[in-house]
Amino acid sequence: MAKTYDYLFKLLLIGDSGVGKTSILFRFSEDAFNISFISTIGIDFKIRTIDLDGKKVKLQIWDTAGQERFRTITTAYYRGSMGIMLVYDVTNEKSFENIKNWIRNIEENASADVEKMILGNKCDLDSKRQVSKERGEQLAVEYQIKFVETSAKDSLNVEYAFYTLARDIKAKMEKKQEASNPPGARGGTHQLKSNDQQRKPPSWLSRCSIL
Amino acid sequence: MTNATIQEIEGIDDYWGPAFRSVYEGEGGHEAFLQQLDERIKQHDKEIEKLCNFYYQGFIESIRELLEVRSHAEELHAEISNVDANVKETTDGLCVRSEELIRARRVELNIASTIEKMELCLPLLTTYSKLKSQVEAKRYYPALKTLEQLEHVLLPRVGPYAWCSHISSDIPKLRQAIQDASMADLRDFLENIRRLSPQVGAVALKQTQEMLGRSLENIIKNKKDMATLGPSSVETNTPQSPHELVDFSPLYRCLHIHTVLGAKHDFVQYYRSQRRQQARLVVIPAAGNLHDSIQSMKSYLNAVLGFFILEEHLLTTGAGLVSSDWLGETWGSARSAAAGTLRTHTALVTDPTLMLSIKHQIVLFINALKCYGLPTEPLPQLLQEMAEHYTEVLMQRWVAVFRDILDNATFRPIEVENQEQYDAVMDTFPYDGDELETQAFPRKFPFSSVVPAVYVQVKEFMYAWLKYSSGLGLGGGGRAAAARHSTSLLLTRSFTGCLSALFRRALPLTQLVQIILDTQYLESATPYLYEFISNITGSELVTAQPAGSMFQTARDDAEKQICENLQHKVDEFLDLENYDWLLVEPSGQASSFVTDMLGYLTGVLTSLEQLPRRAREAAVTAAVKRIACRLRALLLEGDVRAVSAGALHQLDLDVIQCEQFAASDPLPGLRDQLLEHFASLRQLLDLITSWDWSSYLHDIGMEGAKYALVSPREAATLLEKLREAEQKSSVFSVLKKNERDRRKLLDTVLKQLKQLQNQDG
Repeated sequence: MAKTYDYLFKLLLIGDSGVGKTSILFRFSEDAFNISFISTIGIDFKIRTIDLDGKKVKLQIWDTAGQERFRTITTAYYRGSMGIMLVYDVTNEKSFENIKNWIRNIEENASADVEKMILGNKCDLDSKRQVSKERGEQLAVEYQIKFVETSAKDSLNVEYAFYTLARDIKAKMEKKQEASNPPGARGGTHQLKSNDQQRKPPSWLSRCSIL
Repeated sequence: MTNATIQEIEGIDDYWGPAFRSVYEGEGGHEAFLQQLDERIKQHDKEIEKLCNFYYQGFIESIRELLEVRSHAEELHAEISNVDANVKETTDGLCVRSEELIRARRVELNIASTIEKMELCLPLLTTYSKLKSQVEAKRYYPALKTLEQLEHVLLPRVGPYAWCSHISSDIPKLRQAIQDASMADLRDFLENIRRLSPQVGAVALKQTQEMLGRSLENIIKNKKDMATLGPSSVETNTPQSPHELVDFSPLYRCLHIHTVLGAKHDFVQYYRSQRRQQARLVVIPAAGNLHDSIQSMKSYLNAVLGFFILEEHLLTTGAGLVSSDWLGETWGSARSAAAGTLRTHTALVTDPTLMLSIKHQIVLFINALKCYGLPTEPLPQLLQEMAEHYTEVLMQRWVAVFRDILDNATFRPIEVENQEQYDAVMDTFPYDGDELETQAFPRKFPFSSVVPAVYVQVKEFMYAWLKYSSGLGLGGGGRAAAARHSTSLLLTRSFTGCLSALFRRALPLTQLVQIILDTQYLESATPYLYEFISNITGSELVTAQPAGSMFQTARDDAEKQICENLQHKVDEFLDLENYDWLLVEPSGQASSFVTDMLGYLTGVLTSLEQLPRRAREAAVTAAVKRIACRLRALLLEGDVRAVSAGALHQLDLDVIQCEQFAASDPLPGLRDQLLEHFASLRQLLDLITSWDWSSYLHDIGMEGAKYALVSPREAATLLEKLREAEQKSSVFSVLKKNERDRRKLLDTVLKQLKQLQNQDG
């Protein structure tokens, strides 16, 4: 039977509270923007299917709460993610500095080969800018992570960011597949599930993931 | 003889015949005679000669004398002609003089008679000129009197002169002119009072207002003011009665004139019809849109009131010009027309402040009418209708307010950083904050900022609403009841309406939860609102009120949205499903989308904890039901043709996960109910995996059967899919005996199921 998609990628948005994670997601999933700020509580997700080199790729993008008090809930989602968007606010120095902490967080909680990307959001607010593009690039080079400045409000680079991340994940996965599987086997992410765990009550730690 | 004959001839004058005979017959005959005659002649000649001789001297003398006479005569003649010329000359001058005299005499006579006649005419003329000047000076009434005198006394006395007839022919014209002019005056007057009647009305309303505001304190205060200001300043030109603004004299004059002219009846008729027309006009607002400003409404009411105050005044002073019947009738039609006008115009008012002012004006208007003894009938009724409209207008306004509040709301619990902020919230909303009091800052209220905002606005609404009902003569209890009614109407209709509108957008779960909580806090504050009402109106506190249902519809909507929200998320997870339906070996592990989903649901359920149990139940049930339904559909729907035993096991594994979730008591006490939703799927899976066809077919149709929820059709559908998968995968295993038996059994069971299916129809 024909599947509705060829790949399912789970992506995660992290970053300080108020940097615009939800807005970026809203822009990407609904192509809309809402000026009012409603902070995300716990965790939520949106799904969008994109076309990548003739393949249907479903992106399940988890939007986490930036606030400290939800940290325990959100870190549980790191492990299952294949790609992580680190978002900071170009008008907020602190949020940029915190990117390093977030990266450490990823290193502690996410799988090692997770694809990452840094987004400097709100680049439309040039007059209030505190973090230059060069500094963003500098940081990205330091960690060897891709970087782009975005504006959820003006719909700038949002699509590009998600497509880039998805493309990188796809490339990595196909490479891995070729290495481990002889050609002709069925493709699909579920093949990458580990089989060494016993069935347990559902918990995020028990999630099947690439190891 | 011969002598004789001559004598004879001489003696005789005629009859000469015999003389002739004798001449002829006489002796000597003829000769003789001739001789005789000669003789005779000679004789005569001698005689003549002698005579001439004798007389000659005398003759000459006479001639001489005659000649002398002739010269004398000539002398005389000359003298006489001289005298005659003289006389002629003198008489000529005399004649001229006498003629002149005659003429002068005649003139003198004429003059005398003329003066006599003129003296007769003089009064007539003076009167006439007086008349003219009176007419000119518009003193029509004396003019009419003069006219009368002229016509009946003076004109007959004077002879039939042309100018008299001219004057007398002028009289009717003049009379008509006077009538016309007085009519014109009347029209001026009518126009004038039309212009003045708003002022009259304004004064009357002002006086009414003063009278209404009259109280002991005010009177004392006024007296004091008077004492300080001195009496002079108070008694300045303010009219005592409103009608004193109008000068009625033209009207009275006109009435007199027409009475004199004998046209009083016509005049009264004319006046009444004119006024009736005016009355008809006055109830049509001049400004067009009364609902635009209070000013136009004021002037409208002033005009109407002034009009009828004047009529009422004329009723007592107008000498029958206005009858009470007529006034009653005119006012009757005018007031219903005015009420109609007011009704249409006030219905268009959308500004509550304007409504209030209009209401105030109408109340004054009614009071003023009462003062003048005019019936007010449809107007109090109108005020009632306006009260309803006012409520509507207010509610509309507050809909905007609520919408604004809701649009800008974050639907997050209020967090306060310090005592000041805490007090600010506690001041605006009655919340029993005993527990919160002891906590450290930042403190967190359970409700969002919508709650105090709405509460304050509801209070504002009540203030506004009660403003209208003041002065309407309602009792405190009545007002309070009506206020309670309007308030609950505002909350149940307007606010709930706004909430419903809010739900039309897809809202995040957390907002929905907060909305439900907020409505509960608002409901719990209703008694405080009632207390507030009774404080304002001074009526007794009414506590009984089925408050719980006020926002139930809104809550239902919110709950529905929560359910839909969850179901949508469940759908999104299930859309990620990617079963390999021909899987040989199950992974021994639940599918990732199922574990993701259950994890997500657990998280959501914890965030729903503040909700009333009912809502949580509904949410969990909706989610679980959707999961069960979707999983079942995956198995049974036509999209999947073949299902391998391995795939079936994988699905079974996932269902077990879900059942575990249900059994983990996400809501205490709901476990069995939740499991119920998976029951039919569970029975179907059990039946297939345990291959327990004998007991299924045996028990079918029996109460409490093990597989009671599995219909033969479903069993058959799934069985067919299994067979399809087996045919695909194990082409070579057909040779094995137990495989062959199994397939045979399968076919038999299928046949039986088909039969059962057909029996059921």
